[in-house]
Amino acid sequence: MGARNKRRSISWRHYCGVVGAAMVVELLLACALILVANPYGNLPPLLFSSHVIMDTNQRFQYPAIARSGRYDSIVIGTSTSRLLRPAALERIFGGRFANLAMNSARAWEQYRIATLFAEHTVHPRTLLVGIDVVWCDENADTQRITERGFPEWMFDEDPWNDFPHMLNKRSVEIAGRRIANALGLNPDRIPFDGYEVFVPDESQYDLAKARELIGPVPTASPKPYAATPEGRRKWRFPALKWLETLLDGGWQRAVIMIMPVHVAAQPQPHSKSAAREAECKARIAALAIRRGVPLVDFRIKSDLTTRDENYWDKLHYRVPVAERIVRDLGRAVATWQDDPAGTWRVLSPPPTLPSIGAVGSTQRSDLSR
Amino acid sequence: MLFQSQAFLLAFLPATLAIWYAAASYGGVREWVLIAFSLVFYAWWDPRFVPLLLGQILVSWVIAVLYLRSGRTAKWLLVVGIAANLSVLLFFKYAAFLAGNVMLLAGLKSPTMSIVLPIGISFYTFEIVSYMADLAWHGAPRYPLRRFALFVLLFPRLIAGPIVRHHEIIPQFDLDPLREGVFQRLALGGTLFTIGLVKKVFLADRLAPLVDSTFTDAAQTAPTFAAAWGGALAFTFQLFLDFSAYSEMAIGIALMLGFTLPQNFNAPYISQSLREFWRRWHMTLSRYLRDYVYIPLGGSREGLGRYVAATIVTMGLCGLWHGAGWTFVAWGLMHGAGLMVNRFWSARELWLPSSLAWATTFLFVVVGWVVFRSPGFDVAGTMLHSMSGLDGLHGSFPRPKLILVAAAVSLLGPTSYEVVMQYLTPNRAAAVLTATAMTVVLFEVGAGQPQSFIYFQF
Repeated sequence: MGARNKRRSISWRHYCGVVGAAMVVELLLACALILVANPYGNLPPLLFSSHVIMDTNQRFQYPAIARSGRYDSIVIGTSTSRLLRPAALERIFGGRFANLAMNSARAWEQYRIATLFAEHTVHPRTLLVGIDVVWCDENADTQRITERGFPEWMFDEDPWNDFPHMLNKRSVEIAGRRIANALGLNPDRIPFDGYEVFVPDESQYDLAKARELIGPVPTASPKPYAATPEGRRKWRFPALKWLETLLDGGWQRAVIMIMPVHVAAQPQPHSKSAAREAECKARIAALAIRRGVPLVDFRIKSDLTTRDENYWDKLHYRVPVAERIVRDLGRAVATWQDDPAGTWRVLSPPPTLPSIGAVGSTQRSDLSR
Repeated sequence: MLFQSQAFLLAFLPATLAIWYAAASYGGVREWVLIAFSLVFYAWWDPRFVPLLLGQILVSWVIAVLYLRSGRTAKWLLVVGIAANLSVLLFFKYAAFLAGNVMLLAGLKSPTMSIVLPIGISFYTFEIVSYMADLAWHGAPRYPLRRFALFVLLFPRLIAGPIVRHHEIIPQFDLDPLREGVFQRLALGGTLFTIGLVKKVFLADRLAPLVDSTFTDAAQTAPTFAAAWGGALAFTFQLFLDFSAYSEMAIGIALMLGFTLPQNFNAPYISQSLREFWRRWHMTLSRYLRDYVYIPLGGSREGLGRYVAATIVTMGLCGLWHGAGWTFVAWGLMHGAGLMVNRFWSARELWLPSSLAWATTFLFVVVGWVVFRSPGFDVAGTMLHSMSGLDGLHGSFPRPKLILVAAAVSLLGPTSYEVVMQYLTPNRAAAVLTATAMTVVLFEVGAGQPQSFIYFQF
């Protein structure tokens, strides 16, 4: 025993050498793994295609889609826009769609990913903005990202300065998954167009459970809130300047859509939040009119937003409903008319000159028929 | 800059060690090198406070020189120096607290004062004051400005200790870093540092969300019996693991540079009495308060009245040192009262089985930490009421495995310091394990914003 210990014993100098060497080797191996596997598709591809999504955090994966050049049209928004299926949108608007809507995305994050896409797409075709409360948040400029983190470092044109930000266990883990994927051991997490059915399978739908999650519908405020014109003017909607900048991004067509959350998630009628929301919609409408962009408001009390059967919870509609919403959106954009049944309202009148609203592509779509 | 950040681990520490050892043969140069690195380390947080730190160093050194030139007669100079340093601390740390209380007493609305606390000010101010007190009481020598500055600035312990005395560290500046045993010091220091890193990142930081949510929620609704105990125990272990980890990292870095810093923790939660607890918890603060407050006030040798007064003042100040809030003062006074009971108990040679003595001490400490951690007495009251079980023994214990591991690390076996200093022998397995632990931590801390150390706020 003693002799064995003696054989295993080394000098302190040797100990330091082993610590140093082992650390260097381990660090180099981890770095090589990240470099070769390219977990977020942001580095120059070495062995594997960068067009595979393996991470669950969309903020880290979607820049690769935005840069890929595979698409000319996108949807941005939060989880309320994620179920808009690219193929369904292509049937309506033409082009090649990617869905870059991200769970809980702040307006700034949506703006950044759309800008990145526009910068890396030769002829950006359709921008569909799914508007949620985040665009009307008075703190949108000070609270730009969520606690999920946002990789601003991926948004410049130098991939190599991304690398120091990737020295973490998450990158190593995704790199491992990426290699397993390349070896055929596990599938892509989601398709490279960003579309994912993140709600449970339709077969698991339970109306009682949904109603429990939807909760009560707010009744009208007993004391109606009356905002003065001066008070309304002072309300801040800092994200709307980003929205306006986005619309200037060289798109052939832009469509703004206010997403249909259940009435239980809409503001209490006649309350201050309802007044703020109305003011926000009015300001979005004003900028949509300036840009000649259709603004379609589904966030109203309607057959769509009052029927519990349409929703998993107060924010997320079901997959078949998503298909209906895409069709409705197509009709709204084609006619610039409110829905006679009251499902949507078009808050911006058609432009007198159809230059911005016109589809500039030769690709066939429902709208160009 | 946090010890557990990649910037520190991959750039600052290797660069400091490399340049320190490159300059090892040039005494003055290497000391300036360390001063420069220490200033960069400090400025990383907030460069606005570097002039304050340097100002305190310079003014204190000039006062010391003037005092010595007076043939150690002009003690008023030291009084001015100590008062000036304590005034800085008072302003930054306690002005808002004092103003709020004065206004409250006057029946006026509390002013909203927001003063940014310079990081580490409580620690380095205490060290400067101790030197001035030692000039007056113990004939401390004059040091060159460079050495006095390095004594205050030495970065491993600049922010949160261990609180070092001038005579413990300044003579070590003469030692050649390349003297015999350099690789042993590098190895032991590096290994101790790594153990501290692991404790901080994998235990203390993982307990933090549970602690934060428990005490935040308690401000709204009373937690269940189990949830309150879970939160209280989680904080008990988080505080120890966080602060002892910092101390181990500080001692480890200093050792890699060739300096020996005093031990700061010695398994405090195994204590069987409160006096033992204070001999094992934040040992450098305990001895500081003993030497510069408790004994000068008379300690235990000047009669019962002086003893009680000395204990209450010392522990009240101990509480206040931790933060400008009445909960901290209450925590300190509570421990002061406990220490007195402990003393009278021992003096009467009353006996308690060791398991019961441990349980009583631990319970007292946990209850104290609840008061210490709570943002106000209302939250402390809610937590302690829930923990008492008066509302029933309900709820589920949160994160039981994590708390169990934290408890085991805090209570069982040798301390990290003992593991490294007494039991570590140079062998390949330990070396590879250390390197692997360091690499894993490096990739762990790269995932997000590193969590600061609890004691940085004090």
